[in-house]
Amino acid sequence: MPAQDTMTLEIFRYHPETDSEPRFQSFEVPYNEDWVVLDAMNWIKDHVDGSLTHRWSCRMGVCGSCGMMVNGEPKLTCAAFLKDYYPFSIKVEPLVNFAVERDLVVSLDGFMEKLQAVKPYIVRDDVNDTSGGEYMQTPAQLAQYKQYSMCINCMLCYAACPVAGHEDEFLGPAALALGHRYNKDSRDQGQSERLDVMLMGEAIWGCTFVGECTEVCPKHVDPAGAIQQAKAGAAQEYFKRFVAPKGAGA
Amino acid sequence: MSGQYHRPHRWAWFLERPGYMRFMVRELTSFFVGGYLVVFLITLARLGGGEAAFAEWVAALASPGWMAAHIVALVAAVWHAVTWFAAVPQAMPIYLGEERLPAPIAAIVMGYGPWLTVTAVIVWWVLR
Repeated sequence: MPAQDTMTLEIFRYHPETDSEPRFQSFEVPYNEDWVVLDAMNWIKDHVDGSLTHRWSCRMGVCGSCGMMVNGEPKLTCAAFLKDYYPFSIKVEPLVNFAVERDLVVSLDGFMEKLQAVKPYIVRDDVNDTSGGEYMQTPAQLAQYKQYSMCINCMLCYAACPVAGHEDEFLGPAALALGHRYNKDSRDQGQSERLDVMLMGEAIWGCTFVGECTEVCPKHVDPAGAIQQAKAGAAQEYFKRFVAPKGAGA
Repeated sequence: MSGQYHRPHRWAWFLERPGYMRFMVRELTSFFVGGYLVVFLITLARLGGGEAAFAEWVAALASPGWMAAHIVALVAAVWHAVTWFAAVPQAMPIYLGEERLPAPIAAIVMGYGPWLTVTAVIVWWVLR
């Protein structure tokens, strides 16, 4: 029987209870054409080192849990096939621009705060009043935001964004795209509340339109486009408030 | 030891991805666009200074050094315009009902079309 082909994975390791600095550890994994990087990592965890820590869930590009740096590129590891790297080794690291909790697991605390700040849900003044029936929406109204609703919060866009890595005030691509998604929803009435947040400091203006967030997005959300459109809305609101400040004349 | 690991600040971040380098080139071309605006303002000032001053300035602009600068500025300005025209459909999508106008067509409608029209009008006005 011929020997099974193998590949090498160089994996970022960091265990905070024992390591002061991260290190890379090499693992030989069986090479299977239909394996993705996530399969190889799960094989390592099951057969070689059970302490390897990484997030994953659906294995089909829906949950957004398994985002990592694969040879320096932000990727969903469930969609990064070994055959695209074979026979060379693959370097797997946690997403950049995030603090590392353990091995390939990053802290999402900052992102969760930013996401909550943009109110990523429909805001209505009459939320408890259902007497008028459902909120109707035409296909044309749906088209205005549908693309931006495909975000799975995988964080690849934050890893690709140089501003997210250098400017804490910046809300970042996914949070801003989701804020824009609800601002464009004809059923929503929360744009003013979201713009309160977006207009603060570098929250939205930090974006310099590098555009790499859109390049790496596995769901073709185009966060860069969403942010530029949101900036136009924010600029209009800024001048509106400049001319007629909130509460003036009340 | 315990706690999170924070990666060190990456000062050379713009070398890490080709997209970052393209971004930096796009941004740097704005210096050439701005610089050429200064040349244009000086030209207007010389025009206000009389025919002799203007002719002297125009002759200076035709020197080999200035010709090289014109070519570099032209390339930079064209690159600046092309990259921004490519970005316009992202920032200003046009919807026809449920359909979004494809990016190449939107770039022509909002970028190249007006650009070529204005250029043609200026050329006509100068050569008429």
